[in-house]
Amino acid sequence: MVHLTAEEKSAVTALWSKVNVDEVGGEALGRLLVVYPWTQRFFDSFGDLSSPNAIMSNPKVKAHGKKVLNSFSDGLKNLDNLKGTFAKLSELHCDQLHVDPENFKLLGNVLVCVLARHFGKEFTPQVQGAFQKVVTGVANALAHKYH
Amino acid sequence: MLSTQERIQVAQVWDLIAGHEASFGAELLLRLFTVYPSTKSYFKHLGFCPDETQLLTHGQRMLEAVGVAVQHMDNLRAALSPLADLHAQVLRVDPSNFPLLIQCFQVVLASHLQGEFTVEMQAAWDKFLTGVAVVLTEKYR
Repeated sequence: MVHLTAEEKSAVTALWSKVNVDEVGGEALGRLLVVYPWTQRFFDSFGDLSSPNAIMSNPKVKAHGKKVLNSFSDGLKNLDNLKGTFAKLSELHCDQLHVDPENFKLLGNVLVCVLARHFGKEFTPQVQGAFQKVVTGVANALAHKYH
Repeated sequence: MLSTQERIQVAQVWDLIAGHEASFGAELLLRLFTVYPSTKSYFKHLGFCPDETQLLTHGQRMLEAVGVAVQHMDNLRAALSPLADLHAQVLRVDPSNFPLLIQCFQVVLASHLQGEFTVEMQAAWDKFLTGVAVVLTEKYR
């Protein structure tokens, strides 16, 4: 469970309502693949990942980023039950996709940087704190069903 | 370790920070303490709620050290040796804290540079700061 104060919850909701989830998703996934290139190991079928430009403009990266972030967005509506919300996805990432849960933390951190980039000063230390709690909660929920 | 292109990225970003070490460093520390409160355990001397002057003073010191690292990207070990000794013998900051500081550093960069904070800059700075952290913790044992 994620423990956000009432202020943190409203800060997260308010900021998220201004996020272009589709675009931010593609950017976050793209940045993950560039900044931590070993994460490309999961995306052999995505085609050209040969340079930062290739990655950031790759249509499969954008599409997948959009999918991932829409899922994350669902989590934001269920902060009191992240483990339940992500149970099926957790099983999928363990049993079928074989993704080391460390990668969820990396993506969460990159997402926070992308939000900071978009929102500038509005992304105060308090707002950052709230979002870091959320991404940690989501990462833990996605790891919860691993065995 | 850093390619020529990466060194250029690091230097370009540093040009934007140079002269603002205190305010940048203060914001970095404020974010670190707000987002990761356990890190305050290493700053007892700043008190439970460090004030702006303390953050500016200590922030400046930290960012000036980053500046030294930028000037000596080719030879971090020699340039940061005294700081590495300090961290190994006196400060003994658990190595797991450096990624937290690096995350906050990236957030400060991203929120200030916004549209100018390219993916290449983020990658180069993450690699550079991780290298600095390795050097600072290398003498721990």
